[in-house]
Amino acid sequence: MARAKFKPSKLTLFAGLLLTGFILLLIPQNVTARLNFAFIDIFRFFLNIGSSTTISHRNSQKDSADFVTRHEYNKLQVAYENLQAELGEQKKQIDQLGRVRMTELDPAAGLVLANIVNRRKNEFIINRGSADNLKKGQYILGDNAIIGCIEQVSTDVSSVKLITSSACKLHIRISAPDVNSYFNGTMQGDDKNAAKILNVPKKYKIKEGYYVYAAPKAGILQSPRIIGRISRCAADETNPVLWDITVKPAYEFDDITDVAVIVIKTEPD
Amino acid sequence: MKWWRFTFLIIFVAVLQTSAAMNLFSLTNLRIKPDILLILLVYFTVYCDSYDAVIISFAIGFAADLAGMVLGPHFISYGIIGAAVTHVKKIILLKNTRQQAMAVFITAVLTETVALMLTQFKPPELTKTGAFEIFAIAAYSAILWFLIKWPVTKVGKWLGVGVHRFTAKINER
Repeated sequence: MARAKFKPSKLTLFAGLLLTGFILLLIPQNVTARLNFAFIDIFRFFLNIGSSTTISHRNSQKDSADFVTRHEYNKLQVAYENLQAELGEQKKQIDQLGRVRMTELDPAAGLVLANIVNRRKNEFIINRGSADNLKKGQYILGDNAIIGCIEQVSTDVSSVKLITSSACKLHIRISAPDVNSYFNGTMQGDDKNAAKILNVPKKYKIKEGYYVYAAPKAGILQSPRIIGRISRCAADETNPVLWDITVKPAYEFDDITDVAVIVIKTEPD
Repeated sequence: MKWWRFTFLIIFVAVLQTSAAMNLFSLTNLRIKPDILLILLVYFTVYCDSYDAVIISFAIGFAADLAGMVLGPHFISYGIIGAAVTHVKKIILLKNTRQQAMAVFITAVLTETVALMLTQFKPPELTKTGAFEIFAIAAYSAILWFLIKWPVTKVGKWLGVGVHRFTAKINER
């Protein structure tokens, strides 16, 4: 007996597929993200084709014995600023040590090196995941500057929201060297190529060129790390008692090829 | 329609769309890139029969979701808009390249707007496309259609599409 071939009507097919779509939409993101990560994992090699071409094309005209590239210059500047921040912290600790005997610094902080598998708008996909102790919220270093934080994690792939993404909100410190102090605040990406520092009152004397650091956070970051510098500081048009502060990241993200995740190891229970 | 070849093509284009190679074609700091999956959506819905077009629309939508980070919004939006285009082509033949480019532009704006609305069901921290970007991507894709119509048509013929557009093929349905 010939088997009847099942072929639903066009309307049934459309309704069935639409229903499937709504089910997919309503499944929690941490479940459906596995499929996205699996796609990236399978085609990892092909997704990265072309990234080196873009970078080498950008750098091809900059080779000279007397000059360093902009990226190299930024790298040295970042290293210098990080050392300055660490020096400030060390000075504070020395002051405290004069009063209280301190234990050793927590040696548990470690770095997990990762390669960028795929670049999206204000987002990187990296080849490390929960198998390497990566968790949502951990900070990402690109050539020693904070460039974003972990957003979603699968076993061996993770997505990183860059500091220029509005989904990335960080506690920051603005270094004011002329008054020898820090201003605390919150920074959020502008979804273009910079970030904004929110709700800073104008009573604080903040200027363009000041450096911005990620503030230390328990279990995430132990000492301040540079993020970038203030590229624009003007009165907020909507609220004149506040500053409208724009932060330019320390690097062009296109120049970064690998990153490090700051992982603070916790003692097993 | 040769479905295995179609599956291969969709996976290939989804990988291409996500790959770093596409950054070579990106414009401005917003990284405006043409949406090749969307161009294929319009091509297939114009040249396939309406039954196949429904399946193809949802399949391309699924590929677009896989290439992004959220499952569902493009699957639904491509499905609905793709089905709508199959109805529109009964009134306007969309035979002319300029009409097809316009169809790409309108389809891009509509699908991305619907997808953006549906993304609201997902966690708020996921990246959302702005209105300017939607229009820019739509315009870029529509302009690109003039350049890639010929290769897309060749690929369509390889898949068995576009051969019998205006003459009924008896054994097709």
